[in-house]
Amino acid sequence: MSASVDVRPDLEAAQRAVWAAIGAPGSQWSGAQRVELAATALRALEADEPLAPWVAPSTVPGMLPSGAVAPAGAHDVVYRVARHGGTLTADWHRRMAEAIGELAYVEAVALTCEVAAIWSFRRAAGLDPWELPLPQPGAPTGETAAQVVQPELNWVPVAAPADERAAVVQAFTALPAENARVWSLADAQYIPDLEMVDPRWTRGTLSRPQMELVAARVAQLRECFY
Amino acid sequence: MLSWSSQEANGEVDLAELGRGGPGTALPLARELHAFASAVPAADGGELARARHALVAAAERLGQDGVAVMVDAAAVAANFEMMTRLADGTGARFPDSVADERAPLAAALGMADVTSRR
Repeated sequence: MSASVDVRPDLEAAQRAVWAAIGAPGSQWSGAQRVELAATALRALEADEPLAPWVAPSTVPGMLPSGAVAPAGAHDVVYRVARHGGTLTADWHRRMAEAIGELAYVEAVALTCEVAAIWSFRRAAGLDPWELPLPQPGAPTGETAAQVVQPELNWVPVAAPADERAAVVQAFTALPAENARVWSLADAQYIPDLEMVDPRWTRGTLSRPQMELVAARVAQLRECFY
Repeated sequence: MLSWSSQEANGEVDLAELGRGGPGTALPLARELHAFASAVPAADGGELARARHALVAAAERLGQDGVAVMVDAAAVAANFEMMTRLADGTGARFPDSVADERAPLAAALGMADVTSRR
């Protein structure tokens, strides 16, 4: 199938840019750590017999790479978000954020979201999966929003002012580069931000209601209330 | 969003049927899109391949570029593989007033008691 599947250039470009950035230093994690965590996300997504939600991969011998450069807790976050996102609780978030740091948690979740999107697209379209990029040298950038505050509508800190936008829109704003990457994917995969208010918007393939049918079914099966 | 966009396009959505796992709408390609979207989160690669081929073929019967339709459906599905993890991983929730408004919808979709309701 993959030989005959042409992907829209804008979609291909958006996904390739985000995939390449996995190997670059992020705000909180180095390129080597990000690639390692992305590999854990892929293992979780691809597992025929995944760990149960309550089993952290760091507690299972052989599950984490020997000589891992990212802390065990970060791998535990990535694995559970990738494979069991619908089971997460506020208590679990609190424990994991205390273990690895709140903003490091945010970046780990964003990275997992990016990996899940691109891996899922390639699989759904019958395309071969991409190899992870090689890590680029350099320390984490430390870049964050100018003012980071705790919102009412998310567990994680966000850029001030909080709760003036939807919870999903503000979720990653504490880390501007990661936030921009996630929304560049959304623009290409779903609907450009400025077109969201138009119920008749289309790329000429699926109508808006057809797109929403696909979206609703995936969210339903993922047991995502939001 | 499905209800809203369908209403705006003069279509109807049967939320109860959606809740029971059916397409819940008479949109063109509804059955094939629903089957494809159902197969994306599932582990069975064979089921996904069958759904993919069925969607391409059905779109082509309607005179569309079947592969382009399938690619865009795959992209939307992938986006919600991303957004569901974004929402769940960051503890995103609606303001109470919005959550109350959505309660009947959640119940119809069988989502009233899921863990991710915060």
